[in-house]
Amino acid sequence: MKAPYKYLLLFVAIAASAVALSSFFRGPGLPAKSFAFPYKQAGLTERQAAAHLLNRFTYGATPGEVDAVVKIGLEKWFQQQLEAKQADPALDSMLAQYKDLTLSNEQIVAEYPKNGQLVRMAVKEGIISKDSVNNLKADKKEYREQIKAYMDKNGLKPQQELLRQFVNAKIFRAAYTNNQLQEVLTDFWFNHFNVSFTKNDCAEFIPVYERDAIRPNVLGKFDKILLATAKSPAMLYFLDNFSSVGVNTNAKQPNARRAQFIQQQQEQMMQADPNSPQAKFLANAQKARKAQGLNENYAREVMELHTLGVDGGYTQSDVTQAAKVLTGWTIFPMNDGYGNAARKIVDTYGTANMEKNGFVRDGDFLFNANRHDEGQKVVLGHTFPAGGGYQEGVDLLEMLAHHPSTAKFITKKIAVRFVSDTPPQSLLDKMAKSFTDHDGDIKEVLITMASSPEFWSAQSLREKTKSPFELAISSVRALDAHITAPYPLYLWITKMGQKLYYYQAPTGFPDRGQYWINTGALLNRMNFGLALATKRIPGITFDLKALNNNREPESAQEGLVTYGKLIMPERNLDQTIARLTPMLNDPDLGKKIDEAAGKTKSVQDMNAGGDDNNMMQMADNAKNYKAKLNKGGGAAGDRLMYAMQNSPGQNSMLSQVVGILIGSPEYQRR
Amino acid sequence: MTSRRGFLKAGGLALFGISLMGGIPSFIAEAAASDKIISPYKKKKTLVCIFQRGAMDGLMAVTPFNEQYLQTNRPTLFLSAAKGGNGNKTPLIDLDGRWGLHPSMSAFEPLFRDKRLAIVHGIGSPNNTRSHFDAQDYMESGTPFNKGTASGWLNRAVGLLGHDAGTPATPFQAVSLTSALPRSFYGDNPSVAISNLQDFAIQMRGNPQGVNMAAKSFEDLYDQTSSSLLKSTGKESFDAMKMLQKTDIKNYKPANGAVYPNTAVGNSLKQIAQLIKMDVGLEIAFTESGGWDTHFNQGSDTGIFARNVNDLSNCIVAFWTDLGQYTDDVTLMTMTEFGRTVKQNGTGGTDHGRASCNFILGNDVNGGIVHNKVQPISLETLEDGRDLAVTTDFRSVFSEVADRHLLIKNDKVLFPDWTGEHIGVMRS
Repeated sequence: MKAPYKYLLLFVAIAASAVALSSFFRGPGLPAKSFAFPYKQAGLTERQAAAHLLNRFTYGATPGEVDAVVKIGLEKWFQQQLEAKQADPALDSMLAQYKDLTLSNEQIVAEYPKNGQLVRMAVKEGIISKDSVNNLKADKKEYREQIKAYMDKNGLKPQQELLRQFVNAKIFRAAYTNNQLQEVLTDFWFNHFNVSFTKNDCAEFIPVYERDAIRPNVLGKFDKILLATAKSPAMLYFLDNFSSVGVNTNAKQPNARRAQFIQQQQEQMMQADPNSPQAKFLANAQKARKAQGLNENYAREVMELHTLGVDGGYTQSDVTQAAKVLTGWTIFPMNDGYGNAARKIVDTYGTANMEKNGFVRDGDFLFNANRHDEGQKVVLGHTFPAGGGYQEGVDLLEMLAHHPSTAKFITKKIAVRFVSDTPPQSLLDKMAKSFTDHDGDIKEVLITMASSPEFWSAQSLREKTKSPFELAISSVRALDAHITAPYPLYLWITKMGQKLYYYQAPTGFPDRGQYWINTGALLNRMNFGLALATKRIPGITFDLKALNNNREPESAQEGLVTYGKLIMPERNLDQTIARLTPMLNDPDLGKKIDEAAGKTKSVQDMNAGGDDNNMMQMADNAKNYKAKLNKGGGAAGDRLMYAMQNSPGQNSMLSQVVGILIGSPEYQRR
Repeated sequence: MTSRRGFLKAGGLALFGISLMGGIPSFIAEAAASDKIISPYKKKKTLVCIFQRGAMDGLMAVTPFNEQYLQTNRPTLFLSAAKGGNGNKTPLIDLDGRWGLHPSMSAFEPLFRDKRLAIVHGIGSPNNTRSHFDAQDYMESGTPFNKGTASGWLNRAVGLLGHDAGTPATPFQAVSLTSALPRSFYGDNPSVAISNLQDFAIQMRGNPQGVNMAAKSFEDLYDQTSSSLLKSTGKESFDAMKMLQKTDIKNYKPANGAVYPNTAVGNSLKQIAQLIKMDVGLEIAFTESGGWDTHFNQGSDTGIFARNVNDLSNCIVAFWTDLGQYTDDVTLMTMTEFGRTVKQNGTGGTDHGRASCNFILGNDVNGGIVHNKVQPISLETLEDGRDLAVTTDFRSVFSEVADRHLLIKNDKVLFPDWTGEHIGVMRS
């Protein structure tokens, strides 16, 4: 028997016997899903338990949602969330406007050409002259208009438009999907397998990455999501594996000295005349040659960040050897230069012949057998015999996915996300065991976690700090707000310290309160609460009075008590109310606020009707700024923020009370 | 403690009044008058740190240009110091016959010749991890073999500044110009992360009373919360906010004709300069610079790396020019988690290596020297047969700079496991 399969079989055997044993104890025929939440033992009421569930497994409770969960039954609600099959008609209609998010990578690359490609195309078709490209003195405005006209005519778009659709869809999904847990986990796993828009080469592939590699796999088995990310263009580009080539390949390599000669020639020509046909030819030659050599980046991070963890027991040699195992894992050629290295092979061989020669195509993924290191490798003491081809990469990832260090590392990360920044060891042990016993089944790990006393203990309740995204979305949900334009909310989330899809390091955002809470960010959270509640964020509408069955609180204090309960159900708000009451009851201060509010056009009424014009104006501004944002101008974003914060808004006392509640320390916790 | 809280509360509310309302309600003004608010902070020394995240290629920034081994292993990356030595490429700036400064950092040359800028080469961590995240973590915690260290070295430095118990602490003692607190700043001593000084206020235009009420409400709520993280951070936020209300941050004009590049580092350094000039008691400032993880198409005299070092050096020189007379009190130091492979990789870049170099700028710096113990480069002297060996522990440099410039005495607290010696990068 071949060694790798022996290794795998051992794992399979252990897993299988564990499953068999556990099902024996459950009794035959019973689904593995019968579980009970031990919240009563922790001294919680059913409503308090429901609120805790919603705090941890959704983006925050909507009005009345605690009652709804109690009615369904806590365990049954959780089961529904694990199945993630709730219908989402409202969300679907919101997402229908983002057509480009349904495209394939190849279509996206075609519709969103990189700048260089765009210019080449426009020149080729004679839309712009070659001279205007390089002539710095040429009329920039005219040039831009020509390009713009060319793009419009051909249905081409700037990359920032793709990001806008993608970010907007994320906000809509988080705020409105009925499959909340799936969306929370999509965020979690995306962050675990982080890729970033900061890296230009992988940016265009990120929407499909989340859609096809992450979201469908968030509640499945760990090896599946690992493999899906490993083969996705976004990851192949983000961690450079697309370019990694083995030394012992069976393909003919160009003579090194010749390569160097070409490079020198080319650089001289480029300098002499970058537009000469020779220079262009050589530029292409260089592009094709660029990708020769081993790149360890993905191999290292897949062990350190995706599976074993940095203390998972691997060495520098394991990294290098794993990198060799994964040589040839690249993408199938598409436009815009992507996958160029394999284009010639694909064209020459034809798909059928490629398979015969050990090539493997799976959607956008290509195993390029010509670039694979054919030698023997040893990773973590396990030998991969020479000539293992594509399958040895799969075997390596399966081995990593089933490694005991991975069980510990992954389940701890899950516990940190859902229980506390410092989860107790007793819980971690149970979860790691569950992971191993169930072949890395995420659902089972989550059930083990939510069924544990530790999950419900006083040490876990309200222990997690909301990320800026969680704060923003939970506020929208708590106010039952309607989002018409998500982009201004995105800017606020960025300002609070979480630029979505832009975390540069493959680590993803750190998941601990200390990371999110610092002096500047905290102040921005308070300002966010005020801005949202006083309707200074365009694109979001809500009706505070309707939340309270159209009853207007008779005093500021009553407003505080009533809306405190609505926004933070089942929390003890005695302290918050005690602290704020004296201030709200100060007759002078209240009067002054009303006076000030009166001076600024907005209506006294708690309904925001009078603010519509103002909102429209800000939304218009947002549109104008968006164009500038497309050029990556942070300053334009700043101006939009400024416009938002300096708009008159809705200054009623109730709005301000709600703003203070959203900015309060209690609301930063979940 | 009581008096400090009192001072800040009263001062703060009065300051909201001035900047946002154009008039001070009498009850607030009375409270404010009861305490002094005029610059209670003794003039301090300031250390500015720039973390170059992603691992800068020290061998390209400051190249030992006589090394044949390097030239051979970097066929497309290597630059010579000789005119015409690289074909049409711009040559290195020859610093001392052995080391050459990358041509895109020409802005540094006058400072180096003026002996204010020192370079340390072969600097790195004794832990040979080649993971960015680990290496940054170790460098920022200052304990290269202990992952469990909760605090960052700059935060511990704050605790060692040795202020009299009587002087009020300033919320701007340690400031990071980043949107989130860096690892270097983790810990029990107060520190602030600010991405933009202008944002530092409770904001509701056209509703000054509302702002006051909201500010007071938030301050009270954060003061009583059971979460210690939210409570202490809340207090720091309000302290910092009140200090900043004093100046016109928005209309800042750099002095001495300094022009900051409109880049992340430029904007950060500009704001650090403002804080230094505002005399708010800034002693440790931090910011970061990205884009150094050049696995792919690194370039040589032009390209990605060249653009990065060009920006970094221009930003630092603008900062130095802007500071003018303040430079006597300021020292700036760059750092990066490790260097990059001696041999260029197959994709026109370099992979994760070991030693790199860093830059230290200040009037108390032993400048004009490339401090190093770097051996001639050959297969035998390389670490693991591939990387420039670490010959200077980053802690010997960091501690010397902190000790000399900030007058910190306790290296045992600053770098607990370190027993090495200083290398003379600061003037004695």
